[in-house]
Amino acid sequence: MIKLNPLTAKKLRRFRSIKRGYWSFIFLVLLYSLSLLGELFVNKRALIVSYQGEFFFPTYGDQISGKKFGFDYEYETNYRDLQNKFEKENSNDWLLMPIVPFDPYEMDYANESSTGFSPPSFSAGHFCGTDKTERDVFARLLYGFRIAMTFSLGYLLLTYLIAICAGSIMGYFGGRTDMLGLRLVEIWANVPFLYMVIILVSVMPSWWGTGWQVSSLLLIMVLFSWTGMTYYIRAAVYKEKARDYVSAAKVIGASSARIIFRHLLPNVISTLVTFAPFTIAAAVSSITALDFLGYGLPPPTPSWGELLKQGVNNLRIAPWIVISSVSILVLTLTLVTFVGEAVREAFDPKKFSTYE
Amino acid sequence: MNNMTITKIYYTAFLFVNLLFFNGCEDHQLKQPRESGLEPSRQTGESGSPVDREFARELARELGREFARELSKQLKEGNSSIQLDSVFSTSSVQIDRDPDSLVGIDGRPHPLLAHCSEDVLEFYQNHTDCFTIKSLQEIPAGLNWKDGLGEDEFSSPDAKRGGTWNVFMRDFPRTLRTIGPDANGAFRSYLSDYNALSLVMSHPNSDGYYPGLASSWAIADDRKTVYFRLDPDARYSDGKSVRASDFFFLFYYMRSKHIQAPWYNDFFGKDKFLKVTLFDTHTFSITYYKAKPDVVERVSLRPVPEHFYGELDGEYLNKYQWLPEPTTGPYVATPENIDKGKSVTLVRQNDWWADQKKFYRYRFNPDEIKVSVVRDYNKAFEIFLKGEIDMFGLAKTEFWYEKLTDRNQLVKNGYLSKVTFFNQTPPPSYALRINSQKAPLDNQNIRIGFHHAMNFKLVLEKIFRGDYVRMNTVADGYGDRSHPTLRARTFSVEKAVEHFAKAGYTKRGPGGILVNKKGEKLSVEVVTGYKHFEDVLVVLKEEAKKAGLEIKLKILESTAAWKTAGEKNHQVIFSAFNSFVELFPRYWEPFHSDNAYQQDGDTKYRKDGRLKDNLVIKTSTNNFTQTAVREIDHLINEYREEESLERITELSHQLSEMIHEHGVWVPAWKKPWLRIGHWNWIKFPQDWGPKETRDYEEFQVFWIDQSEKKTILKAKLAGETLSDQPTVRIYDKYQSN
Repeated sequence: MIKLNPLTAKKLRRFRSIKRGYWSFIFLVLLYSLSLLGELFVNKRALIVSYQGEFFFPTYGDQISGKKFGFDYEYETNYRDLQNKFEKENSNDWLLMPIVPFDPYEMDYANESSTGFSPPSFSAGHFCGTDKTERDVFARLLYGFRIAMTFSLGYLLLTYLIAICAGSIMGYFGGRTDMLGLRLVEIWANVPFLYMVIILVSVMPSWWGTGWQVSSLLLIMVLFSWTGMTYYIRAAVYKEKARDYVSAAKVIGASSARIIFRHLLPNVISTLVTFAPFTIAAAVSSITALDFLGYGLPPPTPSWGELLKQGVNNLRIAPWIVISSVSILVLTLTLVTFVGEAVREAFDPKKFSTYE
Repeated sequence: MNNMTITKIYYTAFLFVNLLFFNGCEDHQLKQPRESGLEPSRQTGESGSPVDREFARELARELGREFARELSKQLKEGNSSIQLDSVFSTSSVQIDRDPDSLVGIDGRPHPLLAHCSEDVLEFYQNHTDCFTIKSLQEIPAGLNWKDGLGEDEFSSPDAKRGGTWNVFMRDFPRTLRTIGPDANGAFRSYLSDYNALSLVMSHPNSDGYYPGLASSWAIADDRKTVYFRLDPDARYSDGKSVRASDFFFLFYYMRSKHIQAPWYNDFFGKDKFLKVTLFDTHTFSITYYKAKPDVVERVSLRPVPEHFYGELDGEYLNKYQWLPEPTTGPYVATPENIDKGKSVTLVRQNDWWADQKKFYRYRFNPDEIKVSVVRDYNKAFEIFLKGEIDMFGLAKTEFWYEKLTDRNQLVKNGYLSKVTFFNQTPPPSYALRINSQKAPLDNQNIRIGFHHAMNFKLVLEKIFRGDYVRMNTVADGYGDRSHPTLRARTFSVEKAVEHFAKAGYTKRGPGGILVNKKGEKLSVEVVTGYKHFEDVLVVLKEEAKKAGLEIKLKILESTAAWKTAGEKNHQVIFSAFNSFVELFPRYWEPFHSDNAYQQDGDTKYRKDGRLKDNLVIKTSTNNFTQTAVREIDHLINEYREEESLERITELSHQLSEMIHEHGVWVPAWKKPWLRIGHWNWIKFPQDWGPKETRDYEEFQVFWIDQSEKKTILKAKLAGETLSDQPTVRIYDKYQSN
């Protein structure tokens, strides 16, 4: 466990004192945690079903066949139908549906005349309307948020991991290692990122399954974008390694790895932290952009880019898609940027800047 | 100067006479002229090498021609020499030429080919099995000559000539050639397909034909050869008559490497068009490789104007890039009417040769066709609404229902019509093609279960709003040749589950997806290159879950998708081919085992009919289903050889059924209509158009009412109503079920 030095702890305290950033941070964390528990709020499965004296909790776990609840089909129970059935039969059975009783993949063709693009309606439960195939836009936004944020966090962790290793090695050892490493990084950084992603995504076999595909998309993106951070880490390590405490550690006989990870890293972490929120914002925008162009997550994974594309193509027919997806995108990116600004300010060594 | 010419004439005359005598001798004694006195060449054998002979002939011809030219020049100048004249005349007297050979032994071409250039003539001579000349007497007597004049006209006598028809294209044509690189753009139709005539035209309302460039035609007894008599009036737009020899030249042109069009090289290859025979300037025959019921259609070609091209060389592409070929059709593109990057205006010929002929007199009515570039489709739509484009395709649901509703002022006030015209034509073959060789789809039960798990009904209802109908067989839209009663398998969870159970997938896994005893999930990957049909596949995927089938979608760039399918790496591909308007469908390309595996014919099969192991897959063929069934193969072979239409119909039905049984092809949908919007100054015949219309521009039976155009534009400006009802029309005369 890295022990924060008093300076860093002080910086964190300062961050907490910057209200706008701090509350944005809290709000984001809350939103993300909520989305992680999304199945409890936005789901086609009921939360609790009481059927013939027995309780069922279908939210997590295996799907329950329609036969179990007296339907004549074997596939998954349609709980909204079940609810109607209970009401009609006036039985003692009851169930509790989530606030939004739809999942992001399901097409709601309950209304006979619906042919896609139903406008927002509270009575139907579609708070943000539906898309072309009658999928709930709100559900797709929420699960899209979850995927985008998880993706971005994974992206952040992985890029920083690689960048820290490469940057510290170059910075700490210096000399030829640095020289050679830096050239390699420069070459690698010049590989056109978007083209590579497009090419690699198109050759990805789909039998991998969505999870694997998303992970590999993440890996591909990381592979071509870790270089940016390396320069900062390298510079920070260069600066730090000249300090006396590093020499002291060396004299005691600490290994290079120990010096880098135990002594240097806590001191260069501030550089990283200031960049983190912006990296997240960048990752969210790039996954959205890739989806928009059709090279991102495999369909029908809920994604903002896909929604934006649908919205733009049907601007006149279904304005609610663009409105809701643009709002949530702007909101998220703004929050992240607020956090970023606050972090940057908190980690600024000069507490009071004078402007001339 | 004069001396020199005279010497030259003497010299050439000497050589010429020499050569004529040599020509009169046995062939094998021919030698190159300059070697005439040398012994060694005679010792090499009884004949010189073929190259030598060829060269000698060519040189002889060349010199002969040069001599004749010089002579005539001299004669004109009054410098004639009796000596030369007599030499010339004596030599011609001695010629003993075969009237039917392409080039007489005197080296002079047959009179029908007198205009041909060296290169062209040499091409014919090298392929004497393909190009022959016979006398008129050799046309078999008792041929049943037809002229198609008994067919009904499909245009309206009310049609008026005049006006400019404004249309748009998405991109400026990259060339005005109709053949070769970049020529296959959308603009080509205006130059060629919808304009130039071929020999015989297939009638769009019946199975018959009406005359094109040929005024009459007859099928020979072998059912492979068709005799044509060109219409004596048939002319190109530059005033030159169409000659029978242009159909010789057509093959020289189409088989030339200079046109850089391998598809055409192949299509007009020796293996398909066996022979062209000329009888006189206007009579000739073409022999197809196979006796087919629709052989007339297959050999009904468009001529290539030989007088325009002369011969082809490496300069072809550059030279003709912006130089339009003279056409036999009504509309001509001329360089002065081309506004590069913006528009091309085609002008109607005042004295078009077919102007007053039956089938043409009420068609091609506008004086001009102005084709302007509008790159964005939505922008083109806005321009159409302004009235600067006369017609606009409204096939897309969003245009028909959302962007141009019946309540739109333009429609409501009667300025603009929305038209649905039901047509009958082979539809593009939208279908899920199942690769029957990839597990688990190598099991017929899984395939049939897959059919039942596809909810196309929901797709048609919800996504296409009931506008499209389900395609039922592998060959819909071919009239009697299509199976009359066969229906595509409908969505049914019970039947799907039942078939999956037969294949061992009995239990539902945690996600509701079926698993077999080994614990394998029933999961299938569906590839497509159609991004715009993503929603269709998403609906199918979600619905298939009910039947316990997991579908993984892979939506690729179209080239990548075709590549996957070409390499047979897919499990299922959603794709479509454009069908040709033909008499009967094609089965060999998509369903014959020779297009699935490299092993030939029946060597693929064991005695009991099962496929052998270790077969090598054949890539880059259209057999995306990897169908390899011995019985189907045999039927297809028979079908391909069959000549009687009745039996072909029978076989076609049988094949449709067998492929349906085999379960590799899930038919998707077809569009039974054409939907367009047009300004009401465009007038149409009573039935709107002929039955086989695939595109509103195809048969050009409409006309422009210019006075009405003024009225409408005035009314639009003033906001007056011209009709009490929205002008929405449906023409369902040709609606089939």
